[in-house]
Amino acid sequence: MPTSSPSSILTLPASIRSLIVAQSGLQSAFPRLATAIPRVGQIQTTRNYVTESTTAPQSSVNATEVSHFNTLASEWWDPHGSSRLLHLMNPLRHQFINRCLATHGGENTTQQKYLDIGCGGGIFAESAARLASTASVTAVDPTPEVISVAKQHQRVDPLLLEPGRLTYRNIPIEELPLPNTPSEGFDIVSLFEVIEHIQQPSSFLPNILQHIKPGGWLIGSTIARTSVSWFTTKFMAEQVLRMVPRGTHEWSQYIQPTEMRSWATKEADLDAEGIGWQVMGVVYVPGLGWKEVKGSEGWGNYFFGVRKNTAT
Amino acid sequence: MLLSTSPALRASFFALPPSLRRACYATATSPSASHPEIFDLVCVGGGPAGLSLISSLKSQSSTKRLKIALIDAQKLSAPPRTGDGDASGTREFSNRCSSLTPASVKFLKRIGAWENVEQGRVQAYTGMEVWDGVSGAKINFDPMDRGRVAGVVESLGRLVPGSGFGRGAEDEGAGEVATMCENSNLTAALVERVRGLEGVEVLDGTKVEGIELGPEKEKDGMSLDLSLWPVLRLPGNRKIAARLLVGADGANSPVRTFADIPSKGWDYNQHGVVATLQLDQVQDVSAPRKAFQRFLPTGPIALLPLPGNKASLVWSTTTALASHLKSLPPAEFTAAVNAAFRLLTTDISYMLTHSTASQDLDWRESQTDLRALGLPQDFPRVDSVVSGSIASFPLRMRHASTYTGHRIALIGDAAHTIHPLAGQGLNLGLADAESLARHLAIGMEAGMDIGSCWCLDGYGSDRWGKNNAVMGVVDKVGKVFGASAGPVVWARSLGFNAVERLGWVKGGLMRGASG
Repeated sequence: MPTSSPSSILTLPASIRSLIVAQSGLQSAFPRLATAIPRVGQIQTTRNYVTESTTAPQSSVNATEVSHFNTLASEWWDPHGSSRLLHLMNPLRHQFINRCLATHGGENTTQQKYLDIGCGGGIFAESAARLASTASVTAVDPTPEVISVAKQHQRVDPLLLEPGRLTYRNIPIEELPLPNTPSEGFDIVSLFEVIEHIQQPSSFLPNILQHIKPGGWLIGSTIARTSVSWFTTKFMAEQVLRMVPRGTHEWSQYIQPTEMRSWATKEADLDAEGIGWQVMGVVYVPGLGWKEVKGSEGWGNYFFGVRKNTAT
Repeated sequence: MLLSTSPALRASFFALPPSLRRACYATATSPSASHPEIFDLVCVGGGPAGLSLISSLKSQSSTKRLKIALIDAQKLSAPPRTGDGDASGTREFSNRCSSLTPASVKFLKRIGAWENVEQGRVQAYTGMEVWDGVSGAKINFDPMDRGRVAGVVESLGRLVPGSGFGRGAEDEGAGEVATMCENSNLTAALVERVRGLEGVEVLDGTKVEGIELGPEKEKDGMSLDLSLWPVLRLPGNRKIAARLLVGADGANSPVRTFADIPSKGWDYNQHGVVATLQLDQVQDVSAPRKAFQRFLPTGPIALLPLPGNKASLVWSTTTALASHLKSLPPAEFTAAVNAAFRLLTTDISYMLTHSTASQDLDWRESQTDLRALGLPQDFPRVDSVVSGSIASFPLRMRHASTYTGHRIALIGDAAHTIHPLAGQGLNLGLADAESLARHLAIGMEAGMDIGSCWCLDGYGSDRWGKNNAVMGVVDKVGKVFGASAGPVVWARSLGFNAVERLGWVKGGLMRGASG
């Protein structure tokens, strides 16, 4: 309700968005148990996934966000650490990507080039790089410590050390050079558990679209902003169960799938009307793991995929 | 090796003309000590579990490109074979037979191994008659009845070694209870299958000299870090590193020792006596065959059909009786077997301690009401025992505390030693292989490192969990026994304690529990 129009909220800065949300009376939280980028520490922040410097307005990450992830770095690959839920979610990411590619018969037909934005310790980037259908993976993250963790972990797998297979870059996405021609772009650009950490998605997202090859996909996952997600992600996961460190989530920056879609529809490059828009709601069930639950995208964790038009 | 020894040597090596250098490479059998060869999967142990794992991996699209090494200290060569379809050919049946469940056969067909099994030497059977040695109470396990009998009888069926009732009803070939197959026949078929596969290096006749972790990682830089990879030392200073090291290396598994996984259990004061028997009935190849089992106070005795007029004996008894049986001359052994199926338990005890002469048997049998003792009408008489086929094995139970570790997975007897009778252990090993192959495929499809816990946990919880659930299931079955009138007498002779203590019972129940 206070979110007058779903798409317009994305254009507002996070501080305003959180204000609107606060007025809306939707305070609550069911964890989106998996948190995008695990953080440690008790840092109370407004989160912005941006670069180390907040001065660059076009950059997507702020300093507190980066330092939060620094303290989390050591836990990325601990099977029982705070990233456990992300590891468990990872197979669903591939399942969702395959589903998106299959809508246009693209599954396994070509070797895919991936760009993973906000790669963290490399959970998704490593797994994508191991697939037989992958040509290369470029993974970027602005936080130096997580990139260092990712690179150290890359060393334990000789496959990942093959030249060109997996490249980590410690830069904000804004510093990644754009492709010379659209067809040199990436087949799949992924934003897993990232968008809720972005202060101004409306300026961050169009920039990313330039990296996608025509016919390629923007794939992401995030959390819907509902009372359920507040209860699960903020209250249960951070405060009660401590499954993820406090301050991991900024609930006011959560985005509804309808908001994502209405943004995508307005982007001329994107084909968000028909099968070029895909969404999948997932729920973590203790003891069973992550499960797809139809309709849950409206109130919990969800994946979205949107395809870039072939002719632009 | 040559290239790793000294810089000076290396320099002089490169001064050689290319043709000579190539010759040096060709004779250099191992790469330098600091750089082990990398394999995706190294399986130690070329028994049915390890071989079927590899066949299975190579038959799945997502795992068939894995680079695999199979290591076994023994030579994996196919034993001599009789002519096709020649059931009672010149070669006698081995005393090491397994009763393959329909699920196992289905798995072996799927991975392309069953077609290599010498079909003239396997025998499917369609029912098992079980009776109590004390009361004569009888239960038939005829697949035709299975639709009607309720869970209790089905559960009892699972207690019977050599039976495969757990899954029969829902599998193809539902008419079959199980298929008797010599272990050597199955192993030869799997070896043949694996030898024809690409991307599998078979290192048989190769002893693993040691397993250790890879070299310490360099502090800086981006060089390969194998410090948590298992590296196997092989003869000729060859070293191979395994992304996933599979221990299919038997009850005393060196892989399990390397992984420091404890295995707990106990020995029963019992032995299983096995032998190949000749029967008085000549069975038509197509005639339906049955297995028979009688519960004696000292343990069950079972007769499992082999092609023609042959059968496999599996007699669980006390250690003392087992060694006595092995010491008997063939004719007396035969008389003892006939007595154990036909006579009152007091007569059996008397014969086994005093005289196993065949006249004694004839006389006692003439004084016995065989029908009242529950002897099935079509029960055959044992004519003789195939010479040299009598053997015995101690019955023991071992269970590894976990089946997986970092870059480690245990399958088959390395994970669990169930008593060696009637191949229940073999069925479990095949089920392990099937499950591990399936979980590795799931992991590959999601881009997992197949040596990581993310990939292996599913296998461990699938298989270990089923075994571990058994104690609870046994407890429940005990209650069922107590509550239902029909099988009580039978259950009494079986003895709940025996159920609880016998590994193979747990194995059967486990599969029952998992449906």
